[in-house]
Amino acid sequence: MHRLVPEKLVTIISTDVLEERLVAIARNRGASGYTILRARGAGSSGEQSGMLDADANIKFHVILPTDRLAGVLDDLERLMSKRYPLTVFVSDVAVLGSDKFDKPMG
Amino acid sequence: MSALNNLLIPAVLFFALGVITRLIKSDLRLPPDLAKMLSIYLLMAIGLHGGYELGRADLGAAFNAVAWAIALGFTLPLMGYGLLMLTRRVDRMNAAAIAAHYGSVSAGTFLTAIAYLDNAGIAYEAYPLIMLAVMESPAIVVGLLLASWSRQRLAVQDGGVASIDNGPANGQWRSLLHEAMTNGSVVLLIGSMAIGAISAPASMEKLFPFIDEIFMGVLCLFLFEMGMEAARRLREFRRVGAVLVAFGLVMPLVGGVIGIAVGHWALGLGIGGTTLVAVLGASASYIAVPPAMRLAVPEANPSFYLTLALGITFPFNVVIGIPLYHHLAVLVIN
Repeated sequence: MHRLVPEKLVTIISTDVLEERLVAIARNRGASGYTILRARGAGSSGEQSGMLDADANIKFHVILPTDRLAGVLDDLERLMSKRYPLTVFVSDVAVLGSDKFDKPMG
Repeated sequence: MSALNNLLIPAVLFFALGVITRLIKSDLRLPPDLAKMLSIYLLMAIGLHGGYELGRADLGAAFNAVAWAIALGFTLPLMGYGLLMLTRRVDRMNAAAIAAHYGSVSAGTFLTAIAYLDNAGIAYEAYPLIMLAVMESPAIVVGLLLASWSRQRLAVQDGGVASIDNGPANGQWRSLLHEAMTNGSVVLLIGSMAIGAISAPASMEKLFPFIDEIFMGVLCLFLFEMGMEAARRLREFRRVGAVLVAFGLVMPLVGGVIGIAVGHWALGLGIGGTTLVAVLGASASYIAVPPAMRLAVPEANPSFYLTLALGITFPFNVVIGIPLYHHLAVLVIN
Protein backbone atom coordinates (compact mmCIF):
# COMPACT_ATOMS: atom_id res chain seq x y z
CA MET A 1 0.00 0.00 0.00
CA HIS A 2 1.26 3.45 -0.85
CA ARG A 3 1.56 5.87 2.03
CA LEU A 4 -0.46 8.96 1.05
CA VAL A 5 -0.40 11.91 3.42
CA PRO A 6 -3.03 14.70 3.43
CA GLU A 7 -1.76 18.21 2.66
CA LYS A 8 -3.30 21.50 1.48
CA LEU A 9 -2.91 22.73 -2.08
CA VAL A 10 -3.27 26.50 -2.45
CA THR A 11 -3.92 27.66 -6.01
CA ILE A 12 -3.67 31.32 -6.92
CA ILE A 13 -4.54 32.85 -10.28
CA SER A 14 -3.31 36.37 -10.76
CA THR A 15 -1.35 38.77 -12.91
CA ASP A 16 2.26 37.78 -13.44
CA VAL A 17 3.51 41.05 -11.98
CA LEU A 18 2.64 39.62 -8.57
CA GLU A 19 4.88 36.60 -9.05
CA GLU A 20 7.66 37.87 -6.80
CA ARG A 21 5.22 38.72 -4.01
CA LEU A 22 3.62 35.30 -4.19
CA VAL A 23 6.99 33.59 -4.10
CA ALA A 24 7.95 35.70 -1.08
CA ILE A 25 4.76 34.71 0.73
CA ALA A 26 5.32 31.01 0.05
CA ARG A 27 8.92 31.28 1.19
CA ASN A 28 8.24 33.32 4.32
CA ARG A 29 5.40 31.06 5.40
CA GLY A 30 7.49 27.92 5.26
CA ALA A 31 6.40 26.32 2.01
CA SER A 32 8.76 23.67 0.68
CA GLY A 33 8.40 24.79 -2.93
CA TYR A 34 6.01 26.16 -5.51
CA THR A 35 5.06 25.74 -9.17
CA ILE A 36 4.11 28.50 -11.57
CA LEU A 37 2.27 28.05 -14.86
CA ARG A 38 1.46 30.65 -17.47
CA ALA A 39 -2.24 31.19 -17.71
CA ARG A 40 -4.75 33.07 -19.75
CA GLY A 41 -8.44 33.73 -19.41
CA ALA A 42 -10.88 36.49 -18.62
CA GLY A 43 -12.55 37.97 -15.59
CA SER A 44 -12.95 41.15 -13.59
CA SER A 45 -9.76 42.61 -15.11
CA GLY A 46 -10.88 41.97 -18.68
CA GLU A 47 -9.37 39.46 -21.04
CA GLN A 48 -5.90 38.22 -20.23
CA SER A 49 -4.60 37.00 -23.54
CA GLY A 50 -1.11 36.13 -22.33
CA MET A 51 0.27 37.62 -25.55
CA LEU A 52 1.62 40.82 -24.02
CA ASP A 53 3.48 41.71 -20.86
CA ALA A 54 0.48 43.81 -20.07
CA ASP A 55 -2.03 41.00 -19.82
CA ALA A 56 -0.25 37.86 -18.75
CA ASN A 57 -1.58 35.73 -15.91
CA ILE A 58 -0.02 33.01 -13.82
CA LYS A 59 -1.37 30.06 -11.94
CA PHE A 60 0.61 29.58 -8.76
CA HIS A 61 0.54 26.27 -6.88
CA VAL A 62 1.89 25.64 -3.45
CA ILE A 63 1.43 22.51 -1.31
CA LEU A 64 1.59 22.97 2.46
CA PRO A 65 1.11 21.07 5.68
CA THR A 66 -2.22 22.14 7.16
CA ASP A 67 -0.62 24.03 10.05
CA ARG A 68 1.17 26.40 7.68
CA LEU A 69 -1.93 27.25 5.67
CA ALA A 70 -3.30 30.05 7.84
CA GLY A 71 -0.20 32.23 7.48
CA VAL A 72 -0.28 32.02 3.70
CA LEU A 73 -3.97 32.87 3.62
CA ASP A 74 -3.39 35.86 5.93
CA ASP A 75 -0.82 37.26 3.51
CA LEU A 76 -3.06 36.64 0.51
CA GLU A 77 -5.96 38.38 2.23
CA ARG A 78 -3.69 41.34 2.86
CA LEU A 79 -2.93 41.52 -0.88
CA MET A 80 -6.63 41.27 -1.66
CA SER A 81 -7.42 44.06 0.79
CA LYS A 82 -5.17 46.28 -1.31
CA ARG A 83 -7.48 45.31 -4.16
CA TYR A 84 -5.10 43.13 -6.10
CA PRO A 85 -7.32 40.86 -8.18
CA LEU A 86 -6.50 37.37 -6.93
CA THR A 87 -8.39 34.13 -7.38
CA VAL A 88 -7.48 31.85 -4.49
CA PHE A 89 -8.75 28.42 -3.64
CA VAL A 90 -7.60 25.68 -1.33
CA SER A 91 -7.96 21.99 -2.00
CA ASP A 92 -7.32 18.87 0.02
CA VAL A 93 -4.73 16.72 -1.65
CA ALA A 94 -2.93 13.55 -0.78
CA VAL A 95 0.78 13.46 -1.52
CA LEU A 96 3.24 10.69 -1.98
CA GLY A 97 6.60 11.13 -0.29
CA SER A 98 5.37 13.68 2.21
CA ASP A 99 8.76 14.35 3.82
CA LYS A 100 9.76 16.95 1.28
CA PHE A 101 6.72 19.11 1.99
CA ASP A 102 7.82 19.54 5.62
CA LYS A 103 11.16 21.16 4.72
CA PRO A 104 10.88 24.92 4.16
CA MET A 105 12.75 26.44 1.23
CA GLY A 106 16.11 27.85 2.08
CA MET B 1 -0.04 62.80 -52.35
CA SER B 2 -3.42 61.86 -50.97
CA ALA B 3 -3.99 60.83 -47.39
CA LEU B 4 -4.91 57.39 -48.65
CA ASN B 5 -1.55 57.04 -50.29
CA ASN B 6 0.06 57.56 -46.90
CA LEU B 7 -1.92 54.69 -45.47
CA LEU B 8 -0.81 52.27 -48.16
CA ILE B 9 2.34 51.29 -46.32
CA PRO B 10 2.84 47.58 -45.73
CA ALA B 11 3.26 48.12 -41.97
CA VAL B 12 -0.08 49.93 -41.65
CA LEU B 13 -1.78 47.47 -43.97
CA PHE B 14 -0.52 44.58 -41.87
CA PHE B 15 -1.98 46.27 -38.82
CA ALA B 16 -5.31 46.38 -40.65
CA LEU B 17 -4.90 42.72 -41.62
CA GLY B 18 -4.36 41.87 -37.96
CA VAL B 19 -7.60 43.62 -37.04
CA ILE B 20 -9.47 41.86 -39.86
CA THR B 21 -8.00 38.48 -38.93
CA ARG B 22 -9.54 38.85 -35.49
CA LEU B 23 -12.84 40.30 -36.72
CA ILE B 24 -13.51 37.44 -39.13
CA LYS B 25 -12.58 35.03 -36.33
CA SER B 26 -9.79 33.39 -38.27
CA ASP B 27 -8.16 30.47 -36.53
CA LEU B 28 -4.73 32.03 -36.93
CA ARG B 29 -2.80 31.93 -33.65
CA LEU B 30 0.62 33.47 -33.22
CA PRO B 31 3.09 31.94 -30.79
CA PRO B 32 2.72 33.47 -27.32
CA ASP B 33 6.14 35.14 -27.12
CA LEU B 34 6.22 36.49 -30.67
CA ALA B 35 5.27 40.07 -29.79
CA LYS B 36 7.89 40.10 -27.07
CA MET B 37 10.61 38.81 -29.41
CA LEU B 38 9.70 41.24 -32.15
CA SER B 39 9.63 44.21 -29.81
CA ILE B 40 13.04 43.23 -28.43
CA TYR B 41 14.39 43.21 -31.97
CA LEU B 42 12.70 46.48 -32.89
CA LEU B 43 13.99 48.31 -29.82
CA MET B 44 17.48 46.95 -30.35
CA ALA B 45 17.56 47.85 -34.04
CA ILE B 46 16.11 51.33 -33.63
CA GLY B 47 18.41 51.93 -30.66
CA LEU B 48 21.54 50.90 -32.56
CA HIS B 49 20.51 52.92 -35.57
CA GLY B 50 19.65 56.03 -33.57
CA GLY B 51 22.74 55.71 -31.39
CA TYR B 52 24.90 55.49 -34.49
CA GLU B 53 23.48 58.79 -35.69
CA LEU B 54 23.46 60.41 -32.27
CA GLY B 55 27.14 59.59 -31.94
CA ARG B 56 27.71 62.21 -34.60
CA ALA B 57 25.05 64.65 -33.37
CA ASP B 58 25.27 67.78 -31.27
CA LEU B 59 25.44 66.96 -27.57
CA GLY B 60 23.81 70.23 -26.48
CA ALA B 61 20.78 69.61 -28.69
CA ALA B 62 20.57 66.08 -27.34
CA PHE B 63 20.47 67.34 -23.73
CA ASN B 64 17.80 69.84 -24.73
CA ALA B 65 15.71 67.01 -26.19
CA VAL B 66 16.12 64.99 -22.98
CA ALA B 67 15.02 67.95 -20.85
CA TRP B 68 11.92 68.49 -22.97
CA ALA B 69 11.14 64.78 -22.97
CA ILE B 70 11.17 64.80 -19.16
CA ALA B 71 8.98 67.92 -19.11
CA LEU B 72 6.48 66.27 -21.48
CA GLY B 73 6.56 63.05 -19.47
CA PHE B 74 5.61 64.90 -16.31
CA THR B 75 3.08 67.32 -17.82
CA LEU B 76 1.02 65.09 -20.12
CA PRO B 77 -0.19 62.70 -17.39
CA LEU B 78 -1.26 65.63 -15.22
CA MET B 79 -3.31 67.00 -18.13
CA GLY B 80 -4.74 63.55 -18.80
CA TYR B 81 -5.66 63.16 -15.14
CA GLY B 82 -7.40 66.54 -15.16
CA LEU B 83 -9.33 65.70 -18.33
CA LEU B 84 -10.36 62.31 -16.96
CA MET B 85 -11.61 63.79 -13.69
CA LEU B 86 -13.65 66.28 -15.72
CA THR B 87 -15.45 63.43 -17.48
CA ARG B 88 -16.65 62.16 -14.06
CA ARG B 89 -16.71 58.67 -15.51
CA VAL B 90 -13.78 57.19 -13.63
CA ASP B 91 -12.64 57.33 -10.05
CA ARG B 92 -9.34 58.85 -9.05
CA MET B 93 -7.40 55.61 -9.06
CA ASN B 94 -8.46 54.68 -12.58
CA ALA B 95 -7.77 58.23 -13.71
CA ALA B 96 -4.24 58.08 -12.28
CA ALA B 97 -3.50 54.75 -13.97
CA ILE B 98 -4.93 55.82 -17.34
CA ALA B 99 -3.11 59.16 -17.19
CA ALA B 100 0.22 57.39 -16.68
CA HIS B 101 -0.32 55.50 -19.95
CA TYR B 102 -0.89 58.72 -21.86
CA GLY B 103 2.18 60.43 -20.49
CA SER B 104 4.35 57.52 -21.50
CA VAL B 105 4.99 56.50 -25.08
CA SER B 106 4.36 53.66 -27.49
CA ALA B 107 7.41 52.48 -29.39
CA GLY B 108 5.09 50.70 -31.85
CA THR B 109 3.45 53.99 -32.79
CA PHE B 110 6.81 55.72 -33.03
CA LEU B 111 8.16 53.03 -35.38
CA THR B 112 5.03 53.21 -37.52
CA ALA B 113 5.64 56.95 -37.81
CA ILE B 114 9.19 56.21 -38.97
CA ALA B 115 7.83 53.83 -41.61
CA TYR B 116 5.41 56.57 -42.65
CA LEU B 117 8.15 59.18 -42.93
CA ASP B 118 10.46 56.79 -44.80
CA ASN B 119 7.67 56.01 -47.20
CA ALA B 120 7.00 59.68 -47.83
CA GLY B 121 10.72 60.36 -48.21
CA ILE B 122 10.81 62.80 -45.29
CA ALA B 123 14.05 63.12 -43.33
CA TYR B 124 13.95 63.22 -39.53
CA GLU B 125 16.42 63.96 -36.75
CA ALA B 126 17.68 61.31 -34.33
CA TYR B 127 16.81 63.34 -31.20
CA PRO B 128 13.19 62.14 -30.92
CA LEU B 129 14.59 58.64 -30.41
CA ILE B 130 16.36 59.74 -27.21
CA MET B 131 13.06 61.27 -26.15
CA LEU B 132 11.34 57.93 -26.78
CA ALA B 133 13.74 56.29 -24.33
CA VAL B 134 13.46 59.05 -21.76
CA MET B 135 9.66 59.37 -21.88
CA GLU B 136 8.91 55.81 -20.82
CA SER B 137 9.56 56.44 -17.13
CA PRO B 138 8.48 59.90 -15.88
CA ALA B 139 4.81 59.23 -16.51
CA ILE B 140 4.99 56.06 -14.42
CA VAL B 141 6.35 58.14 -11.55
CA VAL B 142 3.59 60.73 -12.01
CA GLY B 143 1.00 57.94 -12.11
CA LEU B 144 2.33 56.56 -8.83
CA LEU B 145 2.30 59.98 -7.22
CA LEU B 146 -1.23 60.72 -8.43
CA ALA B 147 -2.42 57.35 -7.18
CA SER B 148 -0.78 57.82 -3.81
CA TRP B 149 -2.23 61.32 -3.47
CA SER B 150 -5.68 60.03 -4.50
CA ARG B 151 -5.41 57.24 -1.96
CA GLN B 152 -4.78 59.75 0.80
CA ARG B 153 -7.71 61.90 -0.31
CA LEU B 154 -9.97 58.87 -0.39
CA ALA B 155 -8.78 57.89 3.08
CA VAL B 156 -9.61 61.36 4.37
CA GLN B 157 -13.02 61.20 2.68
CA ASP B 158 -13.68 57.88 4.34
CA GLY B 159 -13.00 59.72 7.56
CA GLY B 160 -10.14 57.84 8.97
CA VAL B 161 -6.73 56.36 9.06
CA ALA B 162 -8.12 53.05 7.85
CA SER B 163 -6.36 53.21 4.52
CA ILE B 164 -2.84 53.88 5.65
CA ASP B 165 -2.16 50.26 4.90
CA ASN B 166 -3.46 50.71 1.36
CA GLY B 167 -1.12 50.86 -1.55
CA PRO B 168 2.62 50.71 -1.58
CA ALA B 169 4.33 51.12 1.75
CA ASN B 170 7.36 53.38 1.94
CA GLY B 171 9.73 50.49 1.43
CA GLN B 172 7.97 49.58 -1.79
CA TRP B 173 8.30 53.04 -3.25
CA ARG B 174 11.92 52.51 -3.93
CA SER B 175 11.31 49.24 -5.74
CA LEU B 176 8.49 50.78 -7.78
CA LEU B 177 10.70 53.68 -8.82
CA HIS B 178 13.49 51.26 -9.52
CA GLU B 179 11.13 49.34 -11.75
CA ALA B 180 10.04 52.47 -13.60
CA MET B 181 13.63 53.41 -14.34
CA THR B 182 15.00 49.98 -15.14
CA ASN B 183 12.06 48.85 -17.22
CA GLY B 184 13.17 46.30 -19.80
CA SER B 185 12.40 48.40 -22.86
CA VAL B 186 14.20 51.42 -21.40
CA VAL B 187 17.33 49.41 -20.62
CA LEU B 188 17.31 47.78 -24.05
CA LEU B 189 16.77 51.03 -25.92
CA ILE B 190 19.29 53.11 -24.00
CA GLY B 191 21.82 50.27 -23.99
CA SER B 192 21.51 49.78 -27.76
CA MET B 193 21.81 53.51 -28.33
CA ALA B 194 24.99 53.60 -26.27
CA ILE B 195 26.42 50.66 -28.21
CA GLY B 196 25.46 52.29 -31.51
CA ALA B 197 27.03 55.57 -30.44
CA ILE B 198 30.39 54.23 -29.24
CA SER B 199 30.96 51.35 -31.67
CA ALA B 200 33.45 51.81 -34.47
CA PRO B 201 31.53 52.95 -37.58
CA ALA B 202 33.06 50.18 -39.71
CA SER B 203 31.80 47.50 -37.34
CA MET B 204 28.38 49.13 -37.25
CA GLU B 205 28.13 48.92 -41.02
CA LYS B 206 28.36 45.15 -40.76
CA LEU B 207 25.20 45.28 -38.64
CA PHE B 208 23.19 47.19 -41.20
CA PRO B 209 21.59 44.08 -42.72
CA PHE B 210 20.31 43.26 -39.24
CA ILE B 211 19.19 46.71 -38.14
CA ASP B 212 18.19 48.27 -41.47
CA GLU B 213 17.31 45.84 -44.19
CA ILE B 214 14.98 43.53 -42.33
CA PHE B 215 13.62 46.24 -40.03
CA MET B 216 10.46 47.06 -41.98
CA GLY B 217 9.63 43.39 -42.42
CA VAL B 218 9.83 42.78 -38.69
CA LEU B 219 7.75 45.90 -38.09
CA CYS B 220 5.07 44.44 -40.40
CA LEU B 221 4.97 41.25 -38.35
CA PHE B 222 4.85 43.21 -35.11
CA LEU B 223 2.02 45.45 -36.30
CA PHE B 224 0.16 42.44 -37.62
CA GLU B 225 0.18 40.96 -34.14
CA MET B 226 -0.66 44.30 -32.53
CA GLY B 227 -3.62 44.63 -34.91
CA MET B 228 -4.89 41.32 -33.60
CA GLU B 229 -4.33 42.44 -30.01
CA ALA B 230 -6.03 45.79 -30.62
CA ALA B 231 -9.06 44.08 -32.18
CA ARG B 232 -9.24 41.74 -29.20
CA ARG B 233 -10.00 44.85 -27.12
CA LEU B 234 -12.89 45.99 -29.31
CA ARG B 235 -15.43 43.98 -27.40
CA GLU B 236 -14.44 45.79 -24.21
CA PHE B 237 -15.61 49.13 -25.62
CA ARG B 238 -19.05 48.76 -24.13
CA ARG B 239 -17.59 48.22 -20.72
CA VAL B 240 -15.42 51.30 -21.05
CA GLY B 241 -18.20 53.60 -22.26
CA ALA B 242 -18.48 56.32 -24.89
CA VAL B 243 -16.99 59.09 -22.78
CA LEU B 244 -13.77 57.21 -22.12
CA VAL B 245 -13.56 56.16 -25.75
CA ALA B 246 -13.79 59.86 -26.60
CA PHE B 247 -10.96 60.52 -24.15
CA GLY B 248 -8.88 57.93 -26.03
CA LEU B 249 -9.37 60.01 -29.19
CA VAL B 250 -9.07 63.51 -27.73
CA MET B 251 -6.05 62.97 -25.51
CA PRO B 252 -3.73 62.00 -28.40
CA LEU B 253 -4.79 65.14 -30.24
CA VAL B 254 -3.94 67.26 -27.20
CA GLY B 255 -0.60 65.49 -26.77
CA GLY B 256 0.09 65.67 -30.51
CA VAL B 257 -0.43 69.42 -30.65
CA ILE B 258 1.79 69.93 -27.60
CA GLY B 259 4.38 67.68 -29.22
CA ILE B 260 4.35 69.76 -32.38
CA ALA B 261 4.86 72.92 -30.34
CA VAL B 262 7.79 71.35 -28.48
CA GLY B 263 9.31 69.84 -31.63
CA HIS B 264 9.12 72.99 -33.67
CA TRP B 265 9.51 75.93 -31.28
CA ALA B 266 11.43 74.43 -28.38
CA LEU B 267 13.72 72.05 -30.27
CA GLY B 268 13.76 73.62 -33.72
CA LEU B 269 13.33 70.30 -35.51
CA GLY B 270 12.31 69.89 -39.14
CA ILE B 271 9.02 68.47 -40.37
CA GLY B 272 10.08 64.84 -39.83
CA GLY B 273 11.44 65.40 -36.32
CA THR B 274 8.48 67.53 -35.29
CA THR B 275 6.09 64.84 -36.50
CA LEU B 276 7.95 62.27 -34.40
CA VAL B 277 7.78 64.45 -31.25
CA ALA B 278 4.06 64.90 -31.90
CA VAL B 279 3.71 61.12 -32.09
CA LEU B 280 5.55 60.83 -28.77
CA GLY B 281 3.15 63.31 -27.19
CA ALA B 282 0.13 61.59 -28.72
CA SER B 283 0.92 57.94 -28.09
CA ALA B 284 -0.04 55.90 -25.06
CA SER B 285 2.08 53.10 -23.66
CA TYR B 286 0.75 49.56 -23.76
CA ILE B 287 3.96 47.66 -23.02
CA ALA B 288 5.84 49.33 -20.16
CA VAL B 289 3.15 51.10 -18.17
CA PRO B 290 0.41 48.47 -17.76
CA PRO B 291 2.52 46.05 -15.68
CA ALA B 292 3.78 48.94 -13.55
CA MET B 293 0.22 50.11 -12.88
CA ARG B 294 -0.92 46.59 -12.14
CA LEU B 295 1.66 46.37 -9.43
CA ALA B 296 1.38 49.87 -8.05
CA VAL B 297 -2.27 50.80 -8.59
CA PRO B 298 -4.21 47.57 -8.08
CA GLU B 299 -7.38 49.60 -7.49
CA ALA B 300 -7.50 50.56 -11.16
CA ASN B 301 -9.11 48.20 -13.64
CA PRO B 302 -6.66 46.98 -16.33
CA SER B 303 -9.45 46.55 -18.84
CA PHE B 304 -9.93 50.34 -18.78
CA TYR B 305 -6.37 51.37 -19.44
CA LEU B 306 -5.53 48.55 -21.82
CA THR B 307 -8.65 49.08 -23.87
CA LEU B 308 -7.94 52.80 -24.11
CA ALA B 309 -4.23 52.60 -24.88
CA LEU B 310 -4.23 49.52 -27.11
CA GLY B 311 -7.78 49.33 -28.45
CA ILE B 312 -8.46 52.98 -29.18
CA THR B 313 -5.49 55.33 -29.10
CA PHE B 314 -2.99 53.03 -30.82
CA PRO B 315 -5.17 52.29 -33.90
CA PHE B 316 -6.24 55.93 -34.02
CA ASN B 317 -2.64 57.09 -34.10
CA VAL B 318 -1.54 54.49 -36.64
CA VAL B 319 -4.32 55.20 -39.10
CA ILE B 320 -5.32 58.82 -38.56
CA GLY B 321 -2.99 60.43 -36.05
CA ILE B 322 0.37 60.06 -37.79
CA PRO B 323 -0.71 61.62 -41.13
CA LEU B 324 -2.59 64.27 -39.19
CA TYR B 325 0.40 65.27 -37.06
CA HIS B 326 2.54 65.31 -40.18
CA HIS B 327 0.15 67.68 -41.92
CA LEU B 328 -0.04 69.86 -38.82
CA ALA B 329 3.75 69.97 -38.67
CA VAL B 330 3.85 71.03 -42.31
CA LEU B 331 1.30 73.76 -41.63
CA VAL B 332 3.15 75.07 -38.59
CA ILE B 333 6.62 74.95 -40.10
CA ASN B 334 5.74 76.42 -43.48
